[in-house]
Amino acid sequence: MDIDHNGIGSFAKSKIKITAADSDAIHFTLSDVDLSIANSLRRIMIAEVPTIAIDLVEFNENSSVLADEFIAHRMGLVPLISDHAKRLQYSNDCNCLNFCDNCSVTLTLDASCTTDTTMPVTTRQLQSNNDNVQPYFRDGADPGILLVKLRKGQSLSMRCIAKKGIAKNHAKWSPVTAVAFEYDPHNRLRHTVYWIENTVTGKPRWQEIEEQWPDSYYADQEDKPAPDGTFDYEAEPRTFYFQVESSGALAPGEIVHQGLEKLAAKVGGLLGCVREGYVWTEDELRYESEDKHPVEYRED
Amino acid sequence: MATPQKQGAAAQKQMKNVPTFRTLARQDESVNPSSRSAAYPRLQKISAPHIDSFNSIFSYESPQKGLLEKAILSIGSKVVFDGKENRNKIELWVSNVEVGKPSVEGARGSVHTQLFPSECRERGVSYKAKMQGKLNWRVNNGPIQTEQRSFGSLPILVRSLKCHLYGKSPKDLIKQHEDPEEFGGYFISNGIERLIRLLIVPKRNHPTALIRPSFQNRGPTYSQYGVAMRCVRPDQTSQTVTLHYCNDGAVTLRFSYRKNEYMVPVLLVLRALADASDQELFERLTMGKVEDTFLTDRVELLLKSFRRYDANTRKQCLAYLGDKFAVMLDSPEDKTQLEVGEEFLRSVILVHLGEKDYREKFEMLIFMMQKLYALVAGTCTPDNPDSPQHQEVLLGGHLFLAIIKEKFVDWLSAIKTQIQTDIRRFPATVDFQDKKYLTKVLTKVSGSADIGRKLEYFLSTGNLVSNTGLDLQQTSGYTVVAEKLNFYRYISHFRSIHRGSFFAELKTTTVRKLLPESWGFLCPVHTPDGSPCGLLNHLSHTCNIVVSKLDVSGIAQLVASLGAGQMAGIGPRIKGGKAKSDEGYEGSSDEEMEDAEGGDASADEEVELDVDVLTKQREETTVSIQLDGKIVGWGTAKLVERIAKQLRHWKVMGSKGVPLDLEIGWVPPSNGGQYPGLFLFSTPARMTRPVKYLANGKTDMVGPFEQVYMDIACLNEDVVPGLTTHIEFTPTNILSVVANLTPFSDFNQSPRNMYQCQMGKQAMGTPTQNLPHRTDNKLYRLQTGQTPVVRPSLHDEYGLDGYPNGMNAVVAVISYTGYDMEDASILNKSAHERGYGYGTVYKGEWVDLGDYRRRGEPISHHFGFVANGSEVTSVPKKLLDRAKDYVDMDGLPIIGVRLKQGNPMYAYVDDVTGKVTLAPYKGMEDAYVDEVRLLGSDSGDEELQRIHIKLRIPRPPVIGDKFSSRHGQKGVISQKWPTIDMPFSESGIVPDVIINPHAFPSRMTIGMFVESLAGKSGALHGRSQDATPFKFDEDHPAADFFGEELKEAGFNFHGNEPMYSGITGQEFKADIYIGVVYYQRLRHMVSDKYQVRTTGPVHNLTQQPIKGRKRAGGIRFGEMEHYSHSYVCRICGNLLSPQSVPESGSSAAVSGGGVRNRVRCVTCGKTEGIDVIAVPYVFRYLCSELVAMGVKLRLNVK
Repeated sequence: MDIDHNGIGSFAKSKIKITAADSDAIHFTLSDVDLSIANSLRRIMIAEVPTIAIDLVEFNENSSVLADEFIAHRMGLVPLISDHAKRLQYSNDCNCLNFCDNCSVTLTLDASCTTDTTMPVTTRQLQSNNDNVQPYFRDGADPGILLVKLRKGQSLSMRCIAKKGIAKNHAKWSPVTAVAFEYDPHNRLRHTVYWIENTVTGKPRWQEIEEQWPDSYYADQEDKPAPDGTFDYEAEPRTFYFQVESSGALAPGEIVHQGLEKLAAKVGGLLGCVREGYVWTEDELRYESEDKHPVEYRED
Repeated sequence: MATPQKQGAAAQKQMKNVPTFRTLARQDESVNPSSRSAAYPRLQKISAPHIDSFNSIFSYESPQKGLLEKAILSIGSKVVFDGKENRNKIELWVSNVEVGKPSVEGARGSVHTQLFPSECRERGVSYKAKMQGKLNWRVNNGPIQTEQRSFGSLPILVRSLKCHLYGKSPKDLIKQHEDPEEFGGYFISNGIERLIRLLIVPKRNHPTALIRPSFQNRGPTYSQYGVAMRCVRPDQTSQTVTLHYCNDGAVTLRFSYRKNEYMVPVLLVLRALADASDQELFERLTMGKVEDTFLTDRVELLLKSFRRYDANTRKQCLAYLGDKFAVMLDSPEDKTQLEVGEEFLRSVILVHLGEKDYREKFEMLIFMMQKLYALVAGTCTPDNPDSPQHQEVLLGGHLFLAIIKEKFVDWLSAIKTQIQTDIRRFPATVDFQDKKYLTKVLTKVSGSADIGRKLEYFLSTGNLVSNTGLDLQQTSGYTVVAEKLNFYRYISHFRSIHRGSFFAELKTTTVRKLLPESWGFLCPVHTPDGSPCGLLNHLSHTCNIVVSKLDVSGIAQLVASLGAGQMAGIGPRIKGGKAKSDEGYEGSSDEEMEDAEGGDASADEEVELDVDVLTKQREETTVSIQLDGKIVGWGTAKLVERIAKQLRHWKVMGSKGVPLDLEIGWVPPSNGGQYPGLFLFSTPARMTRPVKYLANGKTDMVGPFEQVYMDIACLNEDVVPGLTTHIEFTPTNILSVVANLTPFSDFNQSPRNMYQCQMGKQAMGTPTQNLPHRTDNKLYRLQTGQTPVVRPSLHDEYGLDGYPNGMNAVVAVISYTGYDMEDASILNKSAHERGYGYGTVYKGEWVDLGDYRRRGEPISHHFGFVANGSEVTSVPKKLLDRAKDYVDMDGLPIIGVRLKQGNPMYAYVDDVTGKVTLAPYKGMEDAYVDEVRLLGSDSGDEELQRIHIKLRIPRPPVIGDKFSSRHGQKGVISQKWPTIDMPFSESGIVPDVIINPHAFPSRMTIGMFVESLAGKSGALHGRSQDATPFKFDEDHPAADFFGEELKEAGFNFHGNEPMYSGITGQEFKADIYIGVVYYQRLRHMVSDKYQVRTTGPVHNLTQQPIKGRKRAGGIRFGEMEHYSHSYVCRICGNLLSPQSVPESGSSAAVSGGGVRNRVRCVTCGKTEGIDVIAVPYVFRYLCSELVAMGVKLRLNVK
């Protein structure tokens, strides 16, 4: 079977140029890859980079105004610093019966209000049994995420079991809030047709488009084509502009890093499938097990 | 397109008062609720008609003097004679009826006995207060004796004068477990909130001309013409009288009394009212129009036909009436015929006029007859009884009072009947002087003395049990539950106004029509589609209902001072023209008229259809001036019009004592139009609405009667100089509260706005803020409700941020995956996982162990496992094991426990048998125990017998659940699509919801597009967007305004964005319209709907699956027949005659097993020719039904 070396095979030649980065987000340009690879990276960063999130909540007491399941849902969405995820096992793969220290982190919260004013309960009050897995705060002044408010006499006591997971299963495991993705800011490839209000100004179409459509974020990254320039109908998108915004669970750069690793592993797995007689490593099989619908692999 | 400058100006104008979300102000409101006044006065006014009318029962003319006092006074007394030789007479009447404040009965030794609404709701009892009054009697006109009596407990309207919450501030209300903005207006009957519906009734004290073919069925010679007048007494009870025109020239007066119809010749009544000769009557009726032969002929006929009654003088007529109506009126035996005749005139004829003012009644009756003749002659049109012009509102408080009054009458009648029965059966025991006898009588009729209970029955069922019918057309459906499904629904109950269930059955659709007369009073948008369409309307949000008494004592004098004639002799009359020859007639009776007009009536020209002539002719028509159905003056049209204008001016200025709520209905003379005159109304139960008076910019309150003849501009550009007198404050005033909450509704196709009014009321939202204190049977709650980014300004004025009804969603209009076909929408799986649309259903269940024993018996059942006097060890361990995860040792459910179908919910033990019963949870869905409420008795000294369990059923959105935008665009969720596969924009925005573009072209909900634009820019700029309708126009289009805002934020002007396929990463060929739209989750959820099964219970008659989800029934989809194999006799074709009989036929063989049965046709007596065929079981059933009717069915089996 032939492999398209301009596509997957040329993945290795691709370049990443980081244009801007801070603690929340990273901007980078991915070039010399195929669209499918770029999109795969986007998809993986959203849904397949593992993080740690609260998955089980055991309530000892809840006399707050919010129902148990509602608080549990809120707890699930709390971003936990997930660098530890690498060292954590998936609960499904763990040898333990239910969960253990190898596959889970326990956070506890005990709060009760004794003052006359309402007491906000925030993620600051969460106590983790693992120093590496803590709720995310921007800085020391960050008050944390408000979970529930208690009035005098109410209390909340619970044990939260955080597990490793991916966002394919639940959005709470997504390390990103959004991934911006763009290519061909000047529409050289004519993948899209800019819609314009049909006016009677008699201006040329390109001028109307220029007036009605604002430049996209990365428009200055590429040269503007001349309005009367030739259209290269064979051209393919090769440069992709990304912006990854982190939920706080992982550093933005780490998300990209893990995403690429994951992508590489996937591509590797695919190549393995294509090459006859390839035997999957255990590691590769494990990645596969994360999918809800594991691929049936025949070895012959 | 607007010029940039204009847009800039518009934007600046908008910027000046940038609408905000008021987040901080609202937080402050809820953290520090006001201890003075309500934060949202508009919201408080929603229940005003209900509360004010209830208050008027106790406080009307003065703070202490209410309508109740008037009503009690007007009942009068009942008189009984004991039939003994000296004919003792006893006279009984009621007085000093007083109502307290709600209190707990039989609570001894408690700190306070006040009963608050929240306690009633939580305990499932009624909110009522003791009613007491005096029974007075005197024997043989001797000294008056008095006894204080109790009349039971009267249901009390929440937040009324008699309610503990009256005048309470938000802070105090919260203390009483109410919403801070609780506006009351409902009763609490057994824990359920019910309110008396507003009902449309004919306008009071104004004669309406009617043409009804059904009038001809009243009797021979009856024509289709009539004039009806619903006369209302000062105590707000009514009595309708109708004048019928008969083809023989006679006019009869018809009325209904205690559900019986009576007809009286009108002349008899007229003569009884005033000593009037035939000549006077002729003159008054013809108004001097002697050349009008149509009229004179009829009046002559009328006068002649009366000759057959031998009643010529007033006294004779009164005696005649007295003789005929003594029985009907149930008048005392010692009254003379004359007195009874007067009583008749007092209590039946034109009861809105003073009791002694026979002359006034006479005048009014004459006026009605004139209108009737005009109607017959075709010089005036019939009035439309379906138009709000001739309608008013039956207010809850007034109806409530009318029932109280009638129940008092019933009680007095019951006493009378009881005494009469005693006289007949045990004459010896009857002794009026003996108080003991009276006490005995009173105990016997104690059933009808509990008036409070009767009213409670009325409220809890809505059924009117009445001997008189209260002059109303229906007997049921007066009350409705104020469902707290969501806040929109709740508000609508108080603003809804029904035409009456009588009209629901009518085949014609005329009553349902939206008439221009209802402009500003009834919302043109907010009416349900389907059977109640047009019958169940909603008041416009600024529509006010007059309830208080207006001081109009000076009006008659004012009218006179403006030059109106007081002589009541001359009615409308055309001078000149047709009435050429009336000059000769003028002379005598016209003198006073001349005073009034300043004497310029000398026109007598030829009839010409000249505009000027016609105008002059009309101006000189003499018309009447009436105040609340009483003639207060006469004048020429020109003069009267001037009076009307002057009165209006004074009214708006608030000078000369003309009240603002006075309705000044000037009906100018016309050629065959409405009967002319100046009709002033000051009575309660009228709708009014504020409009701006152009002359001085002040507010004028306008009623539906006058509005028809007024020139009110809607917008500034509608003003016609010299003609327009008023202008709307804002065009949105014509919409109801709920209709006003549709953003940009002026961009939508009108039916879509109607649908939204329905769907807004079905949305899962925030029904109330005092959830922990509610015990509703079913309550829907949206867990993550949001304030809409795009909302009309009224959203804030009504404080609806306290009751969110949906959530803002990023919506892309794109055809993607095909799962968004046919109004289905695709939900982003991640949005769902983050809590989008998450809802909860609360279900309440009352448990009363008292149901297991008979009334009055001692308590025999207890919550728990251990019977009185036995040990825990006696309880079977198996049972305890089964219960231990769900039920505590006290027999009550453990809070927070999750119940599945069949799990034990509570346990109780029977003392007698010692048996422990575990009551199972019967619901099909898993539920959590949210609250358990232990309910005590009134006195609080009883063992626990009643509990209320509140269950919480989580309802996350699932495929098949219904969602809608606020533009009548509903759809079901067809897929939860993974985020990574969803389309995304360049900035990484993934839509929460995808809808199909095909939802728009035919429905034309442009408002939704505009909302999407506005929502997007609002979200980008972080501001709330004003979506009040009618704010944009052709010169300043909304799309441009919000387009500019989007452009400012760096987005495409038109709201489009290039988007990428989530699956391939490739940019779409077309740009996608994406924005933020507020979405409602509707309460119709698949989990309530699915009904599928293969086998199960069947109907035993038809063998078909039974319907209804409760009985696990299937949806009846096409043929549901159960096929059966049936024998058929080939010879006689009979399906039923082949019967299975034992072969031998002996009785022993029947009981013994193993005997083969043989099928034999009982008609043919043969066993040959019997076949088995497959027929639907219902067919067999049909055969047997036919046999029962003697119809033979023959099957030709081949």
